[in-house]
Amino acid sequence: MSRLEAKKPPLFITEPLTADGVSQSLSLLSGILKSCYGPAGRLKQLHNGVGGYVCTTSQSSAILSRLPVSHPVLGVLMASVQSHVSRFSDCGLFTAILCCSLIENFKSLNVAPCTVIKISKHLLSLCMDYLKSEACGCRVAVDFSSVETLLCLVRSVLRSKPACMLNKTEVDHLTTLILKAFLFTVPRHAESNAVLGKCVIVPMKGRRVMDSAVLPGLLIETPEIQLAKPLTVKRTCSDMIKIALFCVSMSGDSFNPKEGTITVHCGISLEMSELNQLLNVGKQLVNDEVGLVVCQKVIHPSLKQYLKENGVIAVDRAGLSLMEPLSWMTGSKPIASTHDLSPSCYGSLKDVCIETFASKNFMHLIPNDTVVCSLVLCNRNETAWDELKRACETAEHVLQLTLKEPLALLGGGCTETHLASYIRHKSCSLSTSSFEDIDCSQTQYQLVTDGFCRSLESVARSLNHDDGEILTDMVYGHCWFVPPGFPFVSSWSDLVSKCGCGINGNGENLKWRLLQGQSGSPVIQDCPKEPLVKVADLLTLDCYAAKCSGLQVALETANLILDLLYVIKDQN
Amino acid sequence: LPMAFRDVNARRHIGLQQLSSLALAGRTFLGPLKLCKFIVDESTNQSTLICSAVRLIESLDLTSAAGQLLNETIQAQNKEFKTGMSTLLFLVGAWSNAVVECLQQNVPVSAIVSVMSEGLNSCCERVQCLQISIHDVNKELCSSSVRPNTSKSKTCQTGCDSLPNSQLFLYFQKDISVPEIIPMNSCSHQDYGCNFNKRLVLPLTGFGSVASLVRPAGDRSTSVTSGSGVTTSSCNKQKLTHSRYFSTLGKSLFSSQQGNFQGYFLEPSTDSCECSGLGHLAMALSHGNETSMKLLQSIVTYQQETAEHNGSSQLNVAEIVTCCLVGLPESYSCASPGFVTLVSPEQVTVIKYFEGKLLRILLIDGDLTEQYRHLGFNRPCNVRTIVEHPSLQEGDVWLSIMLDNLIKFGVNLVLVKGNVCENLRERCMANSILLVSSVTWNVLCAFGEVTGTRPVTYLTQLNASCVGSGAQVELWKACDGRAMDLGEHIPIRIKARGIPLLTAVLTTTVASKMQLIEDQFWTFVYRLHHALNDKKVFIGGGAVELLCLSHIQMLIEQPLQPANQNAAKEFHNPWLAASATEYKSVVLQALASGWKQYLLVVMCNTAKAASELEACTSVDHYLRKAADCGSPSAYILKEFRRGHLLGDSAGPFADHKEVLKVYDNVTAKTEAWRRALDLVLLVLQTDAEIVTGPRKNHLLNSLVSSEFMFL
Repeated sequence: MSRLEAKKPPLFITEPLTADGVSQSLSLLSGILKSCYGPAGRLKQLHNGVGGYVCTTSQSSAILSRLPVSHPVLGVLMASVQSHVSRFSDCGLFTAILCCSLIENFKSLNVAPCTVIKISKHLLSLCMDYLKSEACGCRVAVDFSSVETLLCLVRSVLRSKPACMLNKTEVDHLTTLILKAFLFTVPRHAESNAVLGKCVIVPMKGRRVMDSAVLPGLLIETPEIQLAKPLTVKRTCSDMIKIALFCVSMSGDSFNPKEGTITVHCGISLEMSELNQLLNVGKQLVNDEVGLVVCQKVIHPSLKQYLKENGVIAVDRAGLSLMEPLSWMTGSKPIASTHDLSPSCYGSLKDVCIETFASKNFMHLIPNDTVVCSLVLCNRNETAWDELKRACETAEHVLQLTLKEPLALLGGGCTETHLASYIRHKSCSLSTSSFEDIDCSQTQYQLVTDGFCRSLESVARSLNHDDGEILTDMVYGHCWFVPPGFPFVSSWSDLVSKCGCGINGNGENLKWRLLQGQSGSPVIQDCPKEPLVKVADLLTLDCYAAKCSGLQVALETANLILDLLYVIKDQN
Repeated sequence: LPMAFRDVNARRHIGLQQLSSLALAGRTFLGPLKLCKFIVDESTNQSTLICSAVRLIESLDLTSAAGQLLNETIQAQNKEFKTGMSTLLFLVGAWSNAVVECLQQNVPVSAIVSVMSEGLNSCCERVQCLQISIHDVNKELCSSSVRPNTSKSKTCQTGCDSLPNSQLFLYFQKDISVPEIIPMNSCSHQDYGCNFNKRLVLPLTGFGSVASLVRPAGDRSTSVTSGSGVTTSSCNKQKLTHSRYFSTLGKSLFSSQQGNFQGYFLEPSTDSCECSGLGHLAMALSHGNETSMKLLQSIVTYQQETAEHNGSSQLNVAEIVTCCLVGLPESYSCASPGFVTLVSPEQVTVIKYFEGKLLRILLIDGDLTEQYRHLGFNRPCNVRTIVEHPSLQEGDVWLSIMLDNLIKFGVNLVLVKGNVCENLRERCMANSILLVSSVTWNVLCAFGEVTGTRPVTYLTQLNASCVGSGAQVELWKACDGRAMDLGEHIPIRIKARGIPLLTAVLTTTVASKMQLIEDQFWTFVYRLHHALNDKKVFIGGGAVELLCLSHIQMLIEQPLQPANQNAAKEFHNPWLAASATEYKSVVLQALASGWKQYLLVVMCNTAKAASELEACTSVDHYLRKAADCGSPSAYILKEFRRGHLLGDSAGPFADHKEVLKVYDNVTAKTEAWRRALDLVLLVLQTDAEIVTGPRKNHLLNSLVSSEFMFL
């Protein structure tokens, strides 16, 4: 008996942002994300409360994907941050924090949302124009002829993830490895449509970070291989190793019908006929002088035995993730059927050898000209390893983005405060005609600009997690941190040594002022200057593309949320 | 889906408190004299004796996030090193407490993190001077025990220039004025493995000194004695029963019987050092576990002898297996060449029938049942078979095909990795084929290597190249030469000529102690293994921790470095530069307190101090003296050499007149420190737990519901 129930009417919520619960949830979310930000960020333990795996992290990608939220406003926010992260990997927390701050700051203004949106769009375009201009004081050009800037970029990513539990030496070691791995993936002969290769991360949990390594080519774990015996591989006349790559299971069970039933007479064994088919494949492989057979899934032991007896190395259970880089690297086409083998599917390899890392044995496939490499990644425990893996992937992605657009932004909060200084300066010198263009009064413009700048500055402020003060200087507009426990003094230069990104020292009098959250008296600001020397040595740098996108995503999402008038909830 | 969020970063950090209370239970596992714990399962009323952090963690309730991370950390250390887990657990507790105290003094988290991790780095670098290379350790250990002998060696070296080396057999026992010599002819001539066993069983009563007396191989007429051969060994109650020359014994000893040698030969002492060097090292690393030590010493000797490249200082862990026999006294523990395993009593007749015969052997790396298919094979679900002429039962067909296959290739012995079909076992027994199940992969490999056999998965794969020969089976005999019947199980020994595999037979009459004995044995095996891998060891007995304490004292006292001194080299860290120096001494004290607590507890556990207070006084006394002497490391090394460190003289080997030196693993120890600190700092930096999953109501109704916030 089916039970019928009357359809419930949808629930209308008007002006969702004014509801109490939303602003509470929003500030809770904003608090969680702010507390994670930066190298001194606090970590979150994500778990299900009944034991089992605990994820310790401060990365937005890990937190946002596992944070189920009930309110649609938060849902919108998180979805747009996640889509940013999926495209750029980096600057997820920046985007999310900025977005929350913008919503909070704009909401508290007594200005109509549509005006706020118009003004803030204008401010965004000012920012983007500035970031794209040569005169931009907070960006540095990335010189690919030296590794220094690239190392800075990678190091900044690694250092901003404290849950990786790395010390200085380990950060330096991994930074070099990640850069090395990235350089392996850049094709040697660049054509017009050059494609970057791939770096495959080989997990090695429980080992010291310093045991990590980068190898050209691919590693396939082979637990059964015996180390004592030297590996002998059949080679073709041109001294290459012919490789066949199977993406179909060769375990001998493919007669298994997905639907329907097969009826056979007693005495006929489907298993046997399947095995014979496999052995025929084996025969052809041997005849074709294949030296190495790699199967994504399982190879039947009898076929393995046959291949081994005929001097062919067989490796099974390579896994799906290796198939694409394998076929890429060897030039072979993955074979999806055991019925007809075309010799054109075979690829070639330069060499095969056995590598041992921490009692695990690997078959190391060495290609001729590689754009594929393996990063054997070690970290002491699982939760720190997972965090490190995410960080490495982010760093790799940052390098790829930087290759496309060889620019980087100053990190450590300096870009945010510098941009805020620039916008403050710019908004003072705006002509009245522009206010008419935007259709707002100068006061409204000033209010929104102040909210916008304070939001940017609040991102920089979130880098500080202890009680110390945060300053900005009136010359370069950079961000400075005063350690906790010091009394308020008039001469800040005694307490600060370097700005957040590390480019400016405290040598000259930079007219520091406190970076405060509340809207106070308007700050009269000169146009912030570019630092005198821009040596990209041991600086904190952020990915240019990711940060620019983050800025845009944050503002657009905030505008979208501010503009929400109704939420309609289907209650069925 | 609800999400609960709990703020944990109060002044009294919940996570750190959880860590410290969990770690408290492991205090008694520190040091060479451990106190065991009984773990009682309330549902079954069964109890086990545990004595290690791993087993403790396994039996604790770890549903909290911090508990889970602790478990993960201990398991990781166990997987990697098999030693150092108790140290790790203890330091986790001690440092958690110390860090909580720092928080209460308002030290910022970032300062704690940076000063502690840099402090640990600095200490790890500092204690490198207490590392001693394996080579030096061997020299030191051997010289101390050999010295008395060497002076005599010349006197009894008579007319043996013509002796081919390696035809000698050494036996030396100090306490008896007339050296006891094992009668050679009692050994079976045909089989090397067998006669080795007889001697290998013996050394369990003592080992460690170096051979000084040699008896020519061919001389079987009398037990010639030589007064001069008896020298005053420094180690009491120690005797050497075999040397590396033993390996060739089987072949050359009996083949050279025509050689008629007279007189005695004493090896040059340097040579003998090499041969038993690992034995000494093993003793120094055993930390008081005498049974395991003696077992391992015989294993090491055997492995060195069988290794083709003689003198290689490696210990092959893959070639050691254990066999646990409950019901025999612990003194029956021994190392047996080959593979010792348990079979059911029905199979004894086959084994007796096989005794002395060379068998054809087959290795199966799966189950030996009709239903078994290799991993990754999906059983067909929609296949129907039509039977037209109902005749034999299916199972019978399979049984007879398998049996025919085995008989066709003349297989006598099958080692199976997985299970064996009972019907097949019976049928095979009737046909004098022995099936042994649950054989590990490395055992299969070892037999595969020496018998030229390749493991197969199915019997249908059989061809001539899959069957090897030369295996032997016999009932396992204890040191008194008797076969043992343990009721439901009979221990048997499977071997093959030249097999490097060795089984450590562990015995105890107390069933609940079995696990503990096996764990301890493996810990010890790996300790030696890591020492050889590291190629160096730390001097033990608290020396390393003491130097850490003195180093931290120095770090605290040394004037603050100018901020910009290293700025050119180091990555700029604006948050930490100044705040770290501000809180440096408080945090470094916290770091030091971990090691200090460690020393105090070890001293109390080993009864070197009556109370923590007394231990504390003693540690402070050493620290002061170390500081006064100018070079703390030199002072500590000196005290260690004299055996005076932390009242060390009455160690676990108190019956030895000479002070035995204790050594420790380098990597395992420093890694345990690092992992412990990493865990504490990881938990310290955590300010919130995010509970995911559909348990909102459960959380709302729980006692701690007020601590949670919901998004």
